[in-house]
Amino acid sequence: MHDSDGAHSDEALMARVARGDEPAYRLLVRRHLPAMLGLARRILGNAADAEDVAQEAMLRVWTHAPRWQPLAAFRTWLTRVVVNLCLDRKRRAAWVNLDAAGELVDPAPSAGEAAERDERERLLSAAIAELPARQRTAVVLTYSEGMSNAQVAEILETTVSAVETLLIRGKQNLRARLGSVIDKDE
Amino acid sequence: MTDDRLDKLLRKTLQRQEPASADVDRVLKRLAGPLPRQTFALWRLPNVLLDWQFAPAWPRVAALACCAALGFFIGLAGVDRQLSGPNYVAGGGGLGTIVFEPDPLTGGRP
Repeated sequence: MHDSDGAHSDEALMARVARGDEPAYRLLVRRHLPAMLGLARRILGNAADAEDVAQEAMLRVWTHAPRWQPLAAFRTWLTRVVVNLCLDRKRRAAWVNLDAAGELVDPAPSAGEAAERDERERLLSAAIAELPARQRTAVVLTYSEGMSNAQVAEILETTVSAVETLLIRGKQNLRARLGSVIDKDE
Repeated sequence: MTDDRLDKLLRKTLQRQEPASADVDRVLKRLAGPLPRQTFALWRLPNVLLDWQFAPAWPRVAALACCAALGFFIGLAGVDRQLSGPNYVAGGGGLGTIVFEPDPLTGGRP
């Protein structure tokens, strides 16, 4: 995998970025932008906000590179930046005046994609979008990114037991919202 | 609904889908402009001088040259001497006034 092969590993590229090497930065961005954009979109449920977050995260890679310490894998650090930016955005969005907020945006990526989905999955997506931000982040990182509880804890800067609690509460909330709809199909 | 069933449904619903390349290109276009200034940590500056790599690195050479020049001028003027005071150059007479003193007045003469 490209992450581990010597001169072009993420860490080696980051060391070059720290010295102001712009081509190395562009390479890192091309490598990680699609995944980070997808992650932001799944957490925020909004394509426009996700693009803003992905752009901000990638700019932070450039500006923070001289101070970056390879204490964790680059990917983990970048994921943490994206998650924190998403949570910040969600926190700020909670205080937006509803009159000034304009029309509500459909959390589904697009109408075409939503139409293709199974009805149950569509309802589950909507229920996930309504979860509290940290619960949703834990659910997305676990089920979409396939991360372990320890990895999620590292990204959310919390303990493994706190992540377990977030997941349990998240699933309880999902069951409470979807129970009557989904249990009919069982 | 059982836990396994919900887990399976969550995995299926949230399965990783890469965003469309048009979306990625749009963000890449936004990042194509001039990049902002990088932030440096002051505590890492000494590492620039202590890093023993014999590869050409002009910032390092420039930093070393500055340190050498600074040391030279401090050596000439002395840290305890006023640069603009009357004692800057004894008598103000140029090189002729620099006298080698073979037997400085230390107080004790034989």
